[in-house]
Amino acid sequence: MNPYVLMILLSSLGLGTTLTFASSHWLLAWMGLEINTLAITPLMAQHHHPRAVEATTKYFLTQATAAAMILFASTTNAWMTGEWSITDLSDPLANTMFMTALALKIGLAPMHFWMPEVLQGLDLLTGLILSTWQKLAPFALIIQTAQNIDPLLLTLLGVTSTLVGGWGGLNQTQLRKILAYSSIAHMGWMIIVIQYAPQLTLLALGTYIIMTSAAFLTLKMSLTTKVSTLATTWSKSPILTATTALVLLSLGGLPPLTGFMPKWLILQELTKQDLPIIATTMALAALISLYFYLRLCYAMTLTISPNTTNSTTPWRTQTTQASMPLALFTMATLGLLPMTPAILTLTT
Amino acid sequence: MTYFMFLLLMALVVGLVAVASNPTPYFAALGLVVAAGVGCGVLVGHGGSFLSLVLFLIYLGGMLVVFAYSAALAAEPYPEAWGSRSVLGYVLVYLLGVGLVAGFFWGGWYEGSWVVVDGLKEFSVLRGDVSGVAVMYSSGGGMLVICAWVLLLTLLVVLELTRGLSRGALRAV
Repeated sequence: MNPYVLMILLSSLGLGTTLTFASSHWLLAWMGLEINTLAITPLMAQHHHPRAVEATTKYFLTQATAAAMILFASTTNAWMTGEWSITDLSDPLANTMFMTALALKIGLAPMHFWMPEVLQGLDLLTGLILSTWQKLAPFALIIQTAQNIDPLLLTLLGVTSTLVGGWGGLNQTQLRKILAYSSIAHMGWMIIVIQYAPQLTLLALGTYIIMTSAAFLTLKMSLTTKVSTLATTWSKSPILTATTALVLLSLGGLPPLTGFMPKWLILQELTKQDLPIIATTMALAALISLYFYLRLCYAMTLTISPNTTNSTTPWRTQTTQASMPLALFTMATLGLLPMTPAILTLTT
Repeated sequence: MTYFMFLLLMALVVGLVAVASNPTPYFAALGLVVAAGVGCGVLVGHGGSFLSLVLFLIYLGGMLVVFAYSAALAAEPYPEAWGSRSVLGYVLVYLLGVGLVAGFFWGGWYEGSWVVVDGLKEFSVLRGDVSGVAVMYSSGGGMLVICAWVLLLTLLVVLELTRGLSRGALRAV
């Protein structure tokens, strides 16, 4: 791709999210979302094979549908109440329509079907952008409007997403699909708590972005997209083998790692709000997710795959890929739990 | 005027059914043209004559390209119009669905909801849509710049997706 075009696309990707962040008017927020969608489309199709083009088409169609529904919801709201401001989305019909559209946009179950398919067709860095940066603008809108939305709808979306995210990932052998289902499950955790403690949604989003960046960058570093190749990467980079297991367990939410922080705080908040059944369901759904993370850990680190090694173990020369971001994100993924009070203070 | 609006709205629904019932592409494009033209007519009825003129011209320009493209890419020897069975099934289902939803909301509608909005237009100097254009160029200048940027971005995105002989997005699939 031409570097000038790449520069324009990447800066527009930034501009779209910034516009949505900065706007208080529905039209401008919608424009930001559309700029985001448009700018990432050529990036998704840049490795030009049918899977990538198919994924791009699916992504474009779902995002365009969601954006049109958001526009329709905001016009309905303006028609009913005469108010274009984002925080004044008070008409019930417009509210529900808006939340469904945004659930489609960020891939909450039962509107999640595009997410694994799209992510599977992309290369790992574009997938990283798709599951981190592209979530920011919709979440900025959700956090501003969440107080007006029907609690039943939010709870249903949250519980279904965590369950489907766990169930869907169970028998997968493709790592990008597993990461897509992990994204769906994490989105569910963020949505379930949004009306009780919006700062916890921000915290969960931040930690999810850190953890999933570490996971995507690890896969990029070891050039793996399948469990079978993941099982044979131990000969390439032993230290990465050790940290990958911990990164995956952090995504699953095990205690001494960063991923435990959002789940812990969200469960505590749900219990404080006197919602023990929902809290239990969420915790059990997290167990299903933990199962497939554990499977990946087992395949990569805890066992040696019974492959015949056709060559001698290669020399571990210095890698040509940028390893600094991976190191930073891995550190943050593994060790942020002691910082919980500071992060809680920062997000409130 | 109420009957005229009634006619326009009916034609809008029928045009959209013609698009949605997936016939042969150029009949669907024709349905889209009908829906667009009639929609602009509804807009005129509600007092946005200049706005609807601009919309109509731009939309027809875009539709011309889509029409030429679909006619060239998907020219079929035996086109499927509303008469063929699969399309007719969709048409009936959609019309029935629209009828059911309309019947559900029928009690809340009255003739006044179709009457044109721009009542005392003979006495006012500025029409709403014309002064809206003026506002877009004065206080909405920043938004105009962003819109221009979005158009440029769209152009680049489309060029990037379709450029080259073997790299065109449609050809690989």
